[in-house]
Amino acid sequence: MTTATATTVLDYTSDSYKDAYSRINAIVIEGEREAHDNYLQLGELLPQHTDELVRLAKMEARHKKGFEACGRNLSVTPNMEFAQAFFAQLHGNFQAAAAEGKIATCLLIQALIIECFAIAAYNIYIPMADPFARKITEGVVKDEYTHLNFGEVWLKANFATVKAELEQANRDNLPIVWKMLNAVEADAKVLGMEKDALVEDFMIQYSGALENIGFTTREIMKMSVYGLTTA
Amino acid sequence: MFGLIGHLTNLEHAQAVAHQLGYPEYADQGLEFWCMAPPQIVDDITVTSITGKTIYGKYVESCFLPEMLAHQRVKAATRKIINAMAHAQKHNIDITALGGFSSIIFENFDLEKMSHVRNIELDFRRFTTGNTHTAYIICQQIEQAAPQVGIDLKNATVAVCGATGDIGSAVCRWLNTQLDVHDLLLVARNRDRLEELQAELGRGKILELMEALPLADIVVWVASMPKGVDLAPEQLKIPSLMIDGGYPKNMGSKIQHPDIHVLNGGIVEHALDIDWKIMEIVNMNVPSRQMFACFAEAMILEFEGWHTNFSWGRNQITVEKMKQIGVVSRKHGFQPLLFNMN
Repeated sequence: MTTATATTVLDYTSDSYKDAYSRINAIVIEGEREAHDNYLQLGELLPQHTDELVRLAKMEARHKKGFEACGRNLSVTPNMEFAQAFFAQLHGNFQAAAAEGKIATCLLIQALIIECFAIAAYNIYIPMADPFARKITEGVVKDEYTHLNFGEVWLKANFATVKAELEQANRDNLPIVWKMLNAVEADAKVLGMEKDALVEDFMIQYSGALENIGFTTREIMKMSVYGLTTA
Repeated sequence: MFGLIGHLTNLEHAQAVAHQLGYPEYADQGLEFWCMAPPQIVDDITVTSITGKTIYGKYVESCFLPEMLAHQRVKAATRKIINAMAHAQKHNIDITALGGFSSIIFENFDLEKMSHVRNIELDFRRFTTGNTHTAYIICQQIEQAAPQVGIDLKNATVAVCGATGDIGSAVCRWLNTQLDVHDLLLVARNRDRLEELQAELGRGKILELMEALPLADIVVWVASMPKGVDLAPEQLKIPSLMIDGGYPKNMGSKIQHPDIHVLNGGIVEHALDIDWKIMEIVNMNVPSRQMFACFAEAMILEFEGWHTNFSWGRNQITVEKMKQIGVVSRKHGFQPLLFNMN
């Protein structure tokens, strides 16, 4: 949820803010970089959608450049090593699924989980962001909805055949997301973003995506909280 | 299509309901979990009017719990309400009532300023607090239940507790001009607002709660507090009528005395059975027919095709609006809950 005004005054130039930003900014840059690669890879798996997926991949590359500029604007060097380790498990699962040709699993990881998480995080970040980053992030978040939509449309069209695979992919990957969230909880807080708001917004977005694909409320309630409390 | 935004009474209740509905993931969790939980549509509702018209609706569980207010989790509480409203709008619900604490949170924390939710711009015309109908029903309960328990309104002193609130002030306006009551006692926390109300009415005595209660033949309780309130029979006049229109409703179990008659206030009974599961969950005595009057307002607006925020903004409820909703309430078969005299 976005609020109209920031309730706390953040000092974007403080060492503590820049320190936290070096990791969060890196996560965003790495996330967009991997998204770019993932959509190109999906384009190979879905030859009839290659053009569309290449277009989506290009958008992610633009987002990456935008977020790199946000870091430079605050004179922050992104900690890319941290970000690569942060995504390693999810990245590994995507690569394994792609190698097996599991398109639904790949789409769940990239187009649903990662996009929903990005949308939730960006929406919560926007009212707290510095003016430069706010403008960039506002542009990015609009694009991310179209990426989510691509996944939803394909999975909806193939729902009957991919349902079981999606449920398994959810069990395998959602608990990783909660762990990732815990890993950045403290840094996100420094940037004015609270964990319970992030989780709630993620679940709203993710539940909505599952609903659009064809899952029932009962299935969604089970799937969307899977592994949350044990993370 | 109409919508109802509701929530459960407390954490324990929420856990029990989650168990009952078969959601173990939700059932064993504490407050922290509910602070993160998203809104869900948990019931599809079909209602038929005595005119024969049938309408459809959805129940949105906001996952708000009163403990969020008691534990200073205000951000979580406001998020629940705003997110539930966005959820209703996203599902194309034309008119949605904000039940329980939802409308109170909306007013008290000025959520009108938070109309931008993710990629949704909330259209407040699609929502109603339902308070006009609630106030109307409470006034009908005063008028019709008093003679049931042998109280003559002409000689009765009526205390309105929570008089300066949206519902309380509306009840005072009605009592002032539509019912011939002997005396009106105004009880609330904020002295300035009480004086404003007194000036508007041109009558009424401003008293502290404990001064007013022993004087009142009829107590109209329309204050809402996260933990409810503890009242004992010794603090009340005997005999007396207590209309418990607050939230949560717990007077009936707290006050056990043969000559103090407690009626759940702001509750209506529909003339026909309604196909829904949710009223059983919120512990209505006759779940197929009884409901909060604020929820019924959304149904009435849907029956009439009045897709507008009929009740909106603080202390805007006029006697004319109450009469207007009253006419259509009866037309579609809603009746105020009264004592069962059989």
